[in-house]
Amino acid sequence: MSADASAAAELRDLADAGRLVAEYPRAGELVARLSGAELLRAGRLLARLDTEEISRAHPGTPLVTIGVTGHGTLGALAPALTAQLARHGLVARPVLADFDNYVFDLLDPAGKLNAARPDLVLCVLDPMIVFDEVPVPWRPEDVERAAADKIGLLERLAARFAETPGTLVLNTMPLLRGHTGQLVDHRSRARLGAVWREANTRLLRLAEDNPSVVVLDLDPIVAQGVPVSDERLSIYAKAHLTDDLLFAYAAEIGHLARQLTGRSKKCLVLDLDNTLWGGVLGDDGVEGIEVGDGYRGEAFLAFQQVVRQLGSQGVLVAAVSKNEPELVTRALREHPRMALRDQDFVRIIANWQPKHDNLNVLAETLGLSVDSFVFVDDSAFERELVRRELPGVAVVDIDGEPAWHRRSLLRDGWFDVREVTSEDRVRASRYRDETARKSFLDSFASTDDYLRELGVHVRIGPVTEAEVPRISQLTLRTNQFNLTADRLQPGDVLDLMKDPAALALAVHAGDRFGDHGLVGAVLARRDGDLLRIDNFLLSCRVFSRSIEEACLSWVLRHARDTGATSVVARYRETPKNRRVADFYPRHAFFPAGGEGDVLTFRHPLTEIMPPPPHIRFDEIHEGDRP
Amino acid sequence: MNDLEDFIALVRDELGVPVAVEDAGRALHDLPGWDSLHLLRLVTVLEARTGRSISVIDLLEAPSLEFIYGLAATG
Repeated sequence: MSADASAAAELRDLADAGRLVAEYPRAGELVARLSGAELLRAGRLLARLDTEEISRAHPGTPLVTIGVTGHGTLGALAPALTAQLARHGLVARPVLADFDNYVFDLLDPAGKLNAARPDLVLCVLDPMIVFDEVPVPWRPEDVERAAADKIGLLERLAARFAETPGTLVLNTMPLLRGHTGQLVDHRSRARLGAVWREANTRLLRLAEDNPSVVVLDLDPIVAQGVPVSDERLSIYAKAHLTDDLLFAYAAEIGHLARQLTGRSKKCLVLDLDNTLWGGVLGDDGVEGIEVGDGYRGEAFLAFQQVVRQLGSQGVLVAAVSKNEPELVTRALREHPRMALRDQDFVRIIANWQPKHDNLNVLAETLGLSVDSFVFVDDSAFERELVRRELPGVAVVDIDGEPAWHRRSLLRDGWFDVREVTSEDRVRASRYRDETARKSFLDSFASTDDYLRELGVHVRIGPVTEAEVPRISQLTLRTNQFNLTADRLQPGDVLDLMKDPAALALAVHAGDRFGDHGLVGAVLARRDGDLLRIDNFLLSCRVFSRSIEEACLSWVLRHARDTGATSVVARYRETPKNRRVADFYPRHAFFPAGGEGDVLTFRHPLTEIMPPPPHIRFDEIHEGDRP
Repeated sequence: MNDLEDFIALVRDELGVPVAVEDAGRALHDLPGWDSLHLLRLVTVLEARTGRSISVIDLLEAPSLEFIYGLAATG
């Protein structure tokens, strides 16, 4: 029995035994092994479970409420979303609106959809949304008019949506042969194509200036050969999009949901022999491995180029390989045709240890969780071992055809984010600076000496508009030093900036080895003579430098200087943030009760600790002060 | 899909509806957990399984699973 078939069988056994709720995390691991029809079947099994019961049994498993509305029959999306979210360790709670009711659904705050307070609202668009409005007979101009009206309506709906929490997902509408074929002349057909694409372009552009909107481009999915429509189901049942297309759409939503809940993947860990190049370095030597030349060499080069492309956008690239380290370094430095060089990797681990052990070491040195790793290896043995030992790692299956490596890596959008920030583009070099810091640390007898010589400087000040994407990203990506795990979309951060009672502070840091960039945030709110700290975040890259103490001291002094009599702060425990459970009590806050799963702490502002002596505050212009 | 039993097993597996052979003659809307969307899924599943096109209208108007089996078996 193949591994996938055995996963499907185990899942069915769990279902038969009535254990799916109790074993939901295991069910998610099994679902992650499935694809195609098996994955959909799993979705149907899981869709019958009570999401409230799953949440009660597994409070650490994030629940994502997904409102579904649109023009046609969309019921098939519910099991597809259930399966796709389960494979990322999430629980989907789909809320299906009534048939073809999207305008009302999006506008009415008390309607079924908005009342469910969805994290994501999917407004699924299909070609019939326009063609249902076109008179018969029609010309391209009629389609142009109908499309312009619809897109105008959607633009207004999206603008209204920006005022509610959550993210609105729209999609482009594929153009069907059944429509173009009704025009007998090529000139009109071309005109229809242009009109149609202009409408889709307007849709795609909606995401540019509306931070609450995501627009999925369905063209690349359709180009892979996913059928858009079955005329029978479209006409008889108003199911205008096929199950296959909705399923592919749900996969994209799975990646979006993963990011919304702070589970995005951050690091791509690659095997080397027959993954990044052809052949075995130890046997074939640096000159003998295949990359760049020959059929297979071209395929490996193409794969390396994709890895480099991902690396340029903030994905950390590491290698874990059973090899001699010197030989690996020589290959990456000296082979004339490599697209990836040793400096493109944040870490290269070459030894003979089991790969899961190496992944744990890598996670520790990078300050990341293994759950944020994507692992690529051509050896089924290594992949199975990692899957079994480290179920949180996303494992990409590749095989002996290197031309497919690229497709396999990209298929799942493991590193999808809403927006690439300037921070992302320099992330890898910042992790590499860390190596220099570590060897600097080794030259000191005590941590205090080290910190004094490190020359840490911190700048704290109001969030600027340019920093909005990065602040949102910090709330979405940061898990360990995140006092509440409240996740904010870019639109939520913008709302905070506009709110006169809110105090949104960005923390920048640097030291003698370089600039860390925007590494933290304090999100607070004035409430009479109280300052309430809603959340406090710090990137794991700058832990153990007391930057958080410096910032807390700054915030407390700022609160006192602006008339506050005390500061109240919140902590909500998550599976990842226990290390900061005593952050407030350790800094002279007193327990002040709590509400639900949130604990609150109060600082009376009578005595405020000074910032740590090794930290220097950079001046910010007076005009920038809150 | 050789007989009614196979077909019922397929409905159980593919749609996740807990039905037995005894339910084959019952009205679809009396089956526990049944909804009209299952018919749409059945079109796809049956056509893939039998390699034949089936009449969607007949299927959408079918009163029972037994009737749908007849449609799929005779093509």
